[in-house]
Amino acid sequence: MALLEIKGLRASSGGREILKGIDFTLEEGRTAVIFGPNGSGKSTFLGSIVGLPKYDITKGNILFKGKDITGMSTYERTQLGIGLAFQYPPSIKGVRLRTLLDTMNPDKEAIDHTSEILDMSPYLDRDVNVGFSGGERKKSEILQLMVQMPDLLLLDEPESGVDIENISLIADALKIILEKDKPIKKRRRSAIIITHTGFILDYIRADKAYVMMDGRILGCGSPSEIFEEIRARGYKECQKCLEEAKKENHAA
Amino acid sequence: MQPKVDKDRLLDVGYDPGIASCGRFLVLDHSILEASHGIKGLEVLPLADAMDNYPHVRDNLVFRLIEKDKNEFTKTASNLPPVGYYIKVEPGVKIDMPFQAGFLLESAGATQVIHNIIELGENSEAHIINGCTTSQETHKGRHIGITETYLGRDAALGYTMIHNWARDVDVYPIGAILVGENARYISNYAAMTSVKKTVSYPVARVMAGGSARFYSIIYSRRDSYFDTGAKVMLEGDASSGEIISRVVSDGGAAISRQMISGSSPGSLGHMECSGLLLGNKGVIHSIPELKGGHQDIDLSHEASVGRISKEDLSYLMTRGLTDDEARSLIIRGFLDIKIKGIPYTIQQIIDEVVDRSVSGSM
Repeated sequence: MALLEIKGLRASSGGREILKGIDFTLEEGRTAVIFGPNGSGKSTFLGSIVGLPKYDITKGNILFKGKDITGMSTYERTQLGIGLAFQYPPSIKGVRLRTLLDTMNPDKEAIDHTSEILDMSPYLDRDVNVGFSGGERKKSEILQLMVQMPDLLLLDEPESGVDIENISLIADALKIILEKDKPIKKRRRSAIIITHTGFILDYIRADKAYVMMDGRILGCGSPSEIFEEIRARGYKECQKCLEEAKKENHAA
Repeated sequence: MQPKVDKDRLLDVGYDPGIASCGRFLVLDHSILEASHGIKGLEVLPLADAMDNYPHVRDNLVFRLIEKDKNEFTKTASNLPPVGYYIKVEPGVKIDMPFQAGFLLESAGATQVIHNIIELGENSEAHIINGCTTSQETHKGRHIGITETYLGRDAALGYTMIHNWARDVDVYPIGAILVGENARYISNYAAMTSVKKTVSYPVARVMAGGSARFYSIIYSRRDSYFDTGAKVMLEGDASSGEIISRVVSDGGAAISRQMISGSSPGSLGHMECSGLLLGNKGVIHSIPELKGGHQDIDLSHEASVGRISKEDLSYLMTRGLTDDEARSLIIRGFLDIKIKGIPYTIQQIIDEVVDRSVSGSM
């Protein structure tokens, strides 16, 4: 059984349709990567899976662990095991990072240990993301996921704005969560990684890559081959594919 | 026989015999049940006794910072025998342990009138925590509390007041503080429970090099009305003032008045009022005022009134928090003023009062 199965998903925000019919499947223990230009709907896709209220799902279904979660609240989805690392997390004045982590998981030792892995101990007594640099925000997001330990990680541009040294730290932490040291069949946690630059793939091996444009998934394949293709020819080639797909749809 | 007091209600406002303190003072309605102190250089007396024993108190301290005919409440107080404390700290004596005072209103419908005098000698230091509350069964009444505070040169006072009144009680704390040269005054005020009406506008006059800082946390529930704030008058060169308030309206009204005025060179003043509206029924009215009379002063203010950000709520809910848990965390964070210069025990008491109120509201 697939961990995540999405059928014909359409979603809008502020009355504008962003996702225009997405079918997607992810098996347990697998990591998928989604490439796509700005505005193609990648963040909306992750936000719809975790149930952010700003996105309205207008059609289709999301099945997680065999349950239809399409109508569930964000809280219910997180309780089932979905976690999201935001591309642009908000700053929450007055709420200390340690207080948030304690509320999520009262195991203080685990919090201290994970903070050390990400070199985030000095930030625990600061307000969540207030005055954090881009890299610190990303590390704070991954720290929160490590404390949350969801079965499905949704990672929205985890490496953007992060220097090489810290990308390596983030990748190490993700490898721990995703049990990358185990044989693939024994891994329980899965991830969908959105990346614009592809840098994260130098550190974390993904099993499958997808290209998203204009709210649709155009195709999938080997992460390294697709990334090379995009790097060599850009998304323009994919745009042609999209237009061809549209024509086929009209013809059908 | 000692009357029975509602110890639980007193604990809720920080009057806790389990906490190490340098002395205690407890009033039930108009009866002084305790006036104790255990440190050399600290004197605590019922004000009436102090006025009998010390002409200096009677002649120089009582109704000297606040005029007897300032308003109907001061007139009422001036016509009654004084009930309250006189606290004196000798010059050079520095006391880290807090002094605890409790004011309990028990007789339903009664008016409790309190008059306190605090006098800190040169280069002395003290921390006073006043807890004011009603007994469990008392919902109606009035509290008038006059406090005149005198800080000698280089003295430091942390003055914390926690209110836990009832839905049909009206409250009029009237405070005035004279902050001597290079002296430091810090006021913390927390009012988290229902009250019919609270009106409070303490005024601090600050001499050269001195500072007065006011921090307040107000949680205005349905049918509650708060008109609170502070005024700092920077009278000496290089004096400074700060007024920070956090106001939550959960259906109640809250007016926040803040004023800093100064005309002495090198003076600094800053104020912040942040308001958070939890629904459509309440109102927050922020009134900041600055008055500068010299080119070499720096006065500023920040004010905001808003609601809980939906984005912040969604974010916390992706971390596995329920809607109520996320709101509670945000409100608690909003009310978390980081106060410098008060003992850890007092900060803990304030934190507990806020935690209890916020978690109890969700």
